Amino acid sequence: MAIRLNGLRTALPVGLALAGLLLAWEAAVRLFGVPAFVLPGPSGILVTIAEKSNILSAGLLVTLTEVAGGFAIGTFIGVALAIVLVLVPPLELMAIPLVIAINSVPSVAFVPLVLLWFGLGMASKIALAAFAVAIVVLLNTLQGLKRPESEAINLLRSFGASRFGILFRLRLPAAMPFLVTGLRVGLARSTIVVIVAEMMGGYGGLGQVIYQATAMMDSLTVWAGVVVASMASLGLYGLLVALDRKLVWWR
Amino acid sequence: MTMRGRILTSPPVTVLLVALAWLAVVPLFNIEPRYLPPLGDVYAEAVKLWPDLLAGFWRTFLETFIGFIAGALIGIGFGTAFAYVRLLERAFFPIFVALQSVPVIAFGAIVVIWFGNTILAKVVIALYLAFFPVAVNTLRGLSGVNPGRAALLSSFGASNWQSFLMLALPSAAPVIMTGLKLGISLSLAGAIVGEWFGDTVGLGVLLLQALYFEQVTRVWVLIIACGLLGALLYGALSLIERRYVWWQFD
Repeated sequence: MAIRLNGLRTALPVGLALAGLLLAWEAAVRLFGVPAFVLPGPSGILVTIAEKSNILSAGLLVTLTEVAGGFAIGTFIGVALAIVLVLVPPLELMAIPLVIAINSVPSVAFVPLVLLWFGLGMASKIALAAFAVAIVVLLNTLQGLKRPESEAINLLRSFGASRFGILFRLRLPAAMPFLVTGLRVGLARSTIVVIVAEMMGGYGGLGQVIYQATAMMDSLTVWAGVVVASMASLGLYGLLVALDRKLVWWR
Repeated sequence: MTMRGRILTSPPVTVLLVALAWLAVVPLFNIEPRYLPPLGDVYAEAVKLWPDLLAGFWRTFLETFIGFIAGALIGIGFGTAFAYVRLLERAFFPIFVALQSVPVIAFGAIVVIWFGNTILAKVVIALYLAFFPVAVNTLRGLSGVNPGRAALLSSFGASNWQSFLMLALPSAAPVIMTGLKLGISLSLAGAIVGEWFGDTVGLGVLLLQALYFEQVTRVWVLIIACGLLGALLYGALSLIERRYVWWQFD
């Protein structure tokens, strides 16, 4: 009971604020007669989402597939590279300048290049998402893997632990919170880069729905697309947070 | 980091190493120009594109810079308001955190409908993107102030304003800097993508044109230019941080 009351106490102000904002938005649009191409009201957007649910859900499916595929591949590559670099220090010294150089380029700047390489289909978006995730995950995981102090490492080594033993017993657990931070930043970046890439060139996906609606000056569908994309990335983010609570239980 | 590691990650050495690797890798693995053109070709293309490149660099810099400064100021303002008015924080902060994970760049189309193909449209996108991380980190920094220290200051008769300037703001500054660094990269991405929705000058415009004409060498020139701009902006912030925000509260 106490917990439920507590939950209500945190949810109530947010709910009220959200409802207030939406009402003010709707009222302002109706009161001042704002044309829909400037700013449609929330009710109009909701109706459009319902009307265009076919196109939107098809686009959502494509976008989610691309983000999820790229996210999984990118996480794997990022973690694997980080482990290799930690196990082979000379390799790390060689790779770090390159990674820093790549990381200072905004990932959206790679969109044209990847579209030219992989074409307009889903492959190019999956590659972009994987790339955006891999860089962040690599840098974060590397930082986490190198976190354990040399004393702790030397202690384990004096007990006869191998490099891999140290990796699994000491380094990987220490890197977990850093990995989770990397996953969060990476997820946000990969959703953005996928949607941007779909806008620039693609056969499907929410970005393409938004782009086509913009070209036809169909502002209601633009808003509907943006809202659905936002809800989807919020949902993905929530999923990640829930997963984090399950996995990193020792914190 | 070891001494060797520090030398290798200093910017001039990084640039030199990457350039050397580029020179070596292309002939060694016989890489097609479609994937990675030789560095010499990229340089020649940059020379050919120079006036446009310079104008685009300057324009994209301006959009990012103005948008970032405005977004950072508004973000710090909102973050401070959240930190001192509990009700405001309870009601709006969760909405802010949620909005942060929204793919805001999709709003680019709407912003251009509102502001037209002006520099203002890109500034607004850059502003919007910088705003959220700065606001969130300002709140995080200000609410992390040591209550014992605050009590000590007020026992000496410090006013709220004095306590804010002398204790809260300095202890929050390192966390705010983290938010600013996140914000500046997002601002740059926002400005570049904002230009795609219609403009004639800017690095983003040049990128879009190079894509349409499938000029891979030109795309590489622009990727380097974008990276340079990103590194300059981030580097300037890091310099300010090291010079003025060198302390680190617990």
